[in-house]
Amino acid sequence: MSGSTEILVALIAVTIVLAAVFLVRPSITAGITGKVLAFVALCILPALCIDAGMSAHMQRSEQTQFCISCHAMQTHGQSLYIDDASYIPAEHFQNHLVPADQACYACHTDYTIFGPLKDKLQGMKRVYMQYVSTPPKVIEISGGYSNLQCLHCHAGARSFEENPIHSALMASLTTNQVSCITSGCHDAIHNVAEIGQLKMWSPGQ
Amino acid sequence: MKLRAIGIRKFLQVSSALIILGLLVEIVSLVWFHPLAFVLFAFVGATLIGLGILVYLLSLVFASSTPTDNRG
Repeated sequence: MSGSTEILVALIAVTIVLAAVFLVRPSITAGITGKVLAFVALCILPALCIDAGMSAHMQRSEQTQFCISCHAMQTHGQSLYIDDASYIPAEHFQNHLVPADQACYACHTDYTIFGPLKDKLQGMKRVYMQYVSTPPKVIEISGGYSNLQCLHCHAGARSFEENPIHSALMASLTTNQVSCITSGCHDAIHNVAEIGQLKMWSPGQ
Repeated sequence: MKLRAIGIRKFLQVSSALIILGLLVEIVSLVWFHPLAFVLFAFVGATLIGLGILVYLLSLVFASSTPTDNRG
């Protein structure tokens, strides 16, 4: 448990104790102090607990371990260890071009829970498929992978901007007309179907 | 008046019970590292806490509508 989660659990414990007072002795709201205490214990603190809980869960769902804890995502997690620099996620993960503990989120910032309502509903559909029905054999991002996910880091970077191919295609890249990953330039992504045949990297080797 | 006062107390007890239950669910969701923990928190914990707050706010409306309160 992280430090912020411990503080949240402490806050929840205090709220439970205060709420329990009104469960056992609701008559203490007869006085003004009791009324104020009831407002804090049954309105302010619980609302704070919901808000802090939501933040804690959002932060947790940014972690790589959280993403690959779903069975269907385990091969995607393995693909981060492919021993071949042409595989974009593996290259970014192994060289810490993205934070290793937030490797998935770094390149999928608009995905499921992190996106707008439509994506959140899509995320719930995936939870349903994982635990109730069956996940699809090939997992694809609804609507395709947006170049903005690459550009939020690469745009403005010297090595990216000075590349003649990138500069020639810049308008098409920013408007998503030419995809970074499906136009034939950077098409080695997770490729989970090939995992068994690829050489894997072991940290510390 | 007495009956109404007892009603308000009942409201407060129901509100407290819902909030306590919701907060216990939230604690479970925080210590359980699993994708379903978020679903548990959002759909069970937060709903229970939200309902508890709503019941408490309803009790305030109910209390302020008592005629004796307005007489001073």
